[in-house]
This record gives sequence, C-alpha cells and structure tokens, in this order.
Amino acid sequence: MSGRSGRADIISTVEFNHTGELLATGDKGGRVVIFQREQESKNQVHRRGEYNVYSTFQSHEPEFDYLKSLEIEEKINKIRWLPQQNAAYFLLSTNDKTVKLWKVSERDKRPEGYNLKDEEGRLRDPATITTLRVPVLRPMDLMVEATPRRVFANAHTYHINSISVNSDYETYMSADDLRINLWNFEITNQSFNIVDIKPANMEELTEVITAAEFHPHHCNSFVYSSSKGTIRLCDMRASALCDRHSKFFEEPEDPSNRSFFSEIISSISDVKFSHSGRYIMTRDYLTVKVWDLNMENRPIETYQVHDYLRSKLCSLYENDCIFDKFECVWNGSDSVIMTGSYNNFFRMFDRNTKRDVTLEASRENSKPRAILKPRKVCVGGKRRKDEISVDSLDFSKKILHTAWHPSENIIAVAATNNLYIFQDKVN
Amino acid sequence: MEVQKEAQRIMTLSVWKMYHSRMQRGGLRLHRSLQLSLVMRSARELYLSAKVEAHEPEVPLPPVRSPDPRLHQSREAEAVAEAAPPDGEQPSPEPMDTREAPRAEETPALCAPRPAKVSRKRRNSSLSDGGDVGLVPSKKARLEEEEEEGASSEVPDRLQPPPAQAEGAFPNLARVLQRRFSGLLNCSPAAPPTAPPACEAKPACRPADSMLNVLVRAVVAF
Repeated sequence: MSGRSGRADIISTVEFNHTGELLATGDKGGRVVIFQREQESKNQVHRRGEYNVYSTFQSHEPEFDYLKSLEIEEKINKIRWLPQQNAAYFLLSTNDKTVKLWKVSERDKRPEGYNLKDEEGRLRDPATITTLRVPVLRPMDLMVEATPRRVFANAHTYHINSISVNSDYETYMSADDLRINLWNFEITNQSFNIVDIKPANMEELTEVITAAEFHPHHCNSFVYSSSKGTIRLCDMRASALCDRHSKFFEEPEDPSNRSFFSEIISSISDVKFSHSGRYIMTRDYLTVKVWDLNMENRPIETYQVHDYLRSKLCSLYENDCIFDKFECVWNGSDSVIMTGSYNNFFRMFDRNTKRDVTLEASRENSKPRAILKPRKVCVGGKRRKDEISVDSLDFSKKILHTAWHPSENIIAVAATNNLYIFQDKVN
Repeated sequence: MEVQKEAQRIMTLSVWKMYHSRMQRGGLRLHRSLQLSLVMRSARELYLSAKVEAHEPEVPLPPVRSPDPRLHQSREAEAVAEAAPPDGEQPSPEPMDTREAPRAEETPALCAPRPAKVSRKRRNSSLSDGGDVGLVPSKKARLEEEEEEGASSEVPDRLQPPPAQAEGAFPNLARVLQRRFSGLLNCSPAAPPTAPPACEAKPACRPADSMLNVLVRAVVAF
C-alpha cells in the first residue's frame, strides 16, 4: 500500500463542469488534467462523445511552511467548476492550504507583424525600422492555456477538505477540519469565517468538519458534515458566524451494530445536495444515506455499500482502509446514486426501483464499447462461479472518486491512477 | 482474557499509528488523530473493564458518569477511574458518550506531562491491590520517571520528533511518545513490544503490566 501511495499520478478528484462538456481530474502530484468531449459529427458516429485531453497544467506545487516546519502537500483535494459566463472556462482547485482560481482559454489566433520585434520575438534595432505597420491576427493551431487568476492563501490553519461555489456565482466557501471560510472571487486577501467549531480548549475536541456544500439554489444555505455522522444546515442570513445551525440531521445509533470502531465508521466522508436541492446524500464507511431536508431525525433511505466489511473492521483498521474517504454522486435526475468500494468496484443504487448493481473498473473488463458485467461479492457459504469472495478483495484498489455527467448517463470513475469513462449504450 | 489481549493489541497499534501519522507528509491530520484517539480510548476502556471483571467477577461495575474526581462511587469505580487519572482537565460532558463506562478523561487531551503531574490529585495511593499496581502508577514510580525524563538526551537521534508543530491539537505527543515508547516504536505492531527502559527501572512496575502502564500514561498525556 505504501508503494502505491507514493505515486504522483494517483487521481484525487474528478469533476464534470456544468454542461458536461469538460471533465477535470486532479492528482496527488498537484496536476490538473481536463478532458473535453468530442463534438458529435456525422462522419464519425462511433466516436460520439469521447473525452480527449484538452489541457494539462500544474496547479499546485509542494510547499514548506517554515514557521511550523511542515510540508504542504501539492495533492489536489477538490476541483469545482464555475458556470461558464464567456468563452473561457474557470475552475477552483485546492490543496490542503491554498485555493486557486484557474482560467482555461483557447487561443487560435496570434498577432503577427510587430514593429519592434521580429517574427521570432527578438528585438529589432530601432535604427533599422523605416516603416510602421499594424500587427494583424493570423490563425494558428489551437492552443489551450491555463492561467492562475486568483490565489486564495493563508486562510486555513487545518487541512482543507471541501470547496463549494455558491449559486450567486460571486462567492464560494472553503472548509477545513474546524472552520469554514466564505470568499469573494475578486478578493484574495480577505475571507469571512462563517463556521468555527474549534473549542477554546483543544482537549475538548470531539468532532471535526468533514465536508461542506452550498445549496444549489439558495445562496444563503449550506450544509456541513461531521466526523460524528451528523449534518448541519446553516443559514447565513441568521448571523455572521453560523455556529448555530438551522437544522441538525442525525440518526440515532443502532445499538445492535455497536462495535469497537462504531465511532469512526460513522464519520461522514462526503455530503452532496441533490440537483433539486430537496435532499442531501451522505457517505459514511459502510453506507450511503439520503436525507430529506424536512426531516432531521433520520434519513429517508439507507443503502448498504459493502456491509460484508462490518465483520472485518479490525483488519481494515490495521491496514488503514477504515480511514478511506469515499465520495458519492447523484445522477442528473436524482434518481440514481453512485459510490465506490474496494477491488475497483463501484455501486449504483436506483432510488425508485430499489435495485442496485456492482460494477468493476478494470482494464480487462473495459474494452471500448464492451458492456460492463455486474459483479457480486460472495458473503459466505458456497461461492458461485463468477462471484468473488470477501477475502479475495483487493483493498489496495479502491474507488474513492466518481463523477456523473449533469444530464446524460456518462460516468467518470477514478481507479488509483486510471480514469474510466463509461457511457450508456442507449441510442 | 482474549478481550484483554485484543484490546491491548489495538491500543498498541493505535499508538504506533499515531506516532507515524506525525511523520507523514502534510503534517499531523486532525481528523485522523481524533479517530485514532477514539479507538485507543475504546480499547482502553474495554481492556480496563475486562480486567476489572477478571479480578472481581462477583461485583458488577457500577456506572460512573461524571469524570469529577471528587466522586467516589465505589472501590471498583475508583480502581478503574484511577487507571486514567484526570490530568486537571475539565469534567465536561461528552456528547458522544453513549456508554456508561467510567471516563476519567476526554479525547485528545494535550496536557503537557510536567504541569499535569503537578496538579494531579493522588486520590487513592492506598489502592495497591496486587492486581491493580499496573493500573495505578505509584508515586515512587512517577518520581523516578521524572528523573529519567531529565536525562532525555540519550534518546537516539532517529527517534527525535520532527520539529514541533505550533498548530494542531497534539504538540506534546511526540515528546510523550518518544519518552515512553523508545523501545516500542522500533518494533512492528505485530511483535510484542518490549517494555521501555524507564519502566524496567521502577521496582513497583510489574513486568506483565508494564506495557499497559506505559500505554495508559501515554493516552492520558495525549
């Protein structure tokens, strides 16, 4: 496991933009790779909607905090796109300490005919210039360039786990273990602290913030999840510092499930609003839960992702897998939810039919246009031919990050350092 | 007995993980440290309650809700509570405590060991059951250890902690772990750890419980 984790190309975040035309991935080495969907053309029907590399750039570099003698990892924790407002694309990318706003734009013309420079860019001797001309723009090969437009630094003492763009498109928030800050895109030297759960005495610390997200339509509302398995909905209109929640979502613990590791497996690793804004989905170590914003005392749906691991928590603690932070996603219509598991398996749950499926992201199973075969984990007793037993699962192959196209059935699945893109075959 | 062994193994493992989490890139992760301390505490409680039951099987363990040192419900409760003496921290109620197990201290308590020892109340130094010597650090043992700590320069360089983190919840962890676990940390968690030299120097320390002795104190300081 330690060998794998040292590789810089391990994907650490995946995100479609608002139209689904672009797909961004961030990796452990601080790089961002953006894929663009090919335009559909009549000539190449079979290549409909393939994603190809559009731009690659180094977003974050490793840094050293001299004051604290700490190395700051360059790993990209999250990428979030801004909605497109002109020809350029904008995204936020963050590591543990610094958020950056990147502008990704195309250049297909370049100016030629400078007076003071020759065609190679070398300065000309002014004495040799006898005439003046107006530079003209000539077409060139398409170049995609990424430039950092804003750097939002020095606002987080602890490690940033989430960023979320507000529906007002003017502000965004960044959350670390104990605090959430609100930023204006134009202002990099100030941020408002809107949540602070740091106790006066750190000895009294009992929970940390694990994820946060703005409501998709109400620019005053956001949620944040905690390591104790609770979710708080906050309203920024209520007060400047949102220490008191508007709603508090918590499910009473099932005493029959209590174990040594109960506390740590109840920690929520991801929280996502549905596109409608009516529901929130949370992921803890063994389950995915859907909550109705109008009901605080329990989730409306609970899905078991890999309950067969419940009896193996001790081994998973030993190999550190119990600390893995899985993400979860909604499809465009909020009817299906998806999350990852081990052995490069990922799971989808249909909320209406209550059916679920386990699929595998692997090279062997993923020839182009091959149909994914559902997989099954054998829990005990006789193992059928194509089932896999729990003890044969490869825990080093984990799918932590997945993304779903905003309107179509296209999914992106990150398996360690490989990105898989699957599409529905419906034509 | 099995429960005790398992709990002890988990405690050892947790301490090892805590130490190594400080060495990783990016610095100490607050969430991870919190989770490790939760597991450590659960394991310790399990170990202690299993130990108490083993020693006095007829008397059920009474619930002690408040960590208030002034409460003396019963001898058993004291025995267990003494094992993790309060280091002068606040007896604040713990929201996530769903069990009525004795809780003498809270989660990541970062008491600097020195001031903690000064303020520690020796509630029950007369409680020196044969079976509980390992749980209750005696005064003599503590004094000898303080002398030992003064000569910490002998700690090998490779175990020097990374430069102290001004941020984060556990600035004293490295120092505590370094003193207590200099022998332990050289081993993999699977191998039974040898008791650190500090422990063996104390006559009051029973070899069988020296590991727990050391672990308990580390947890308290943590």
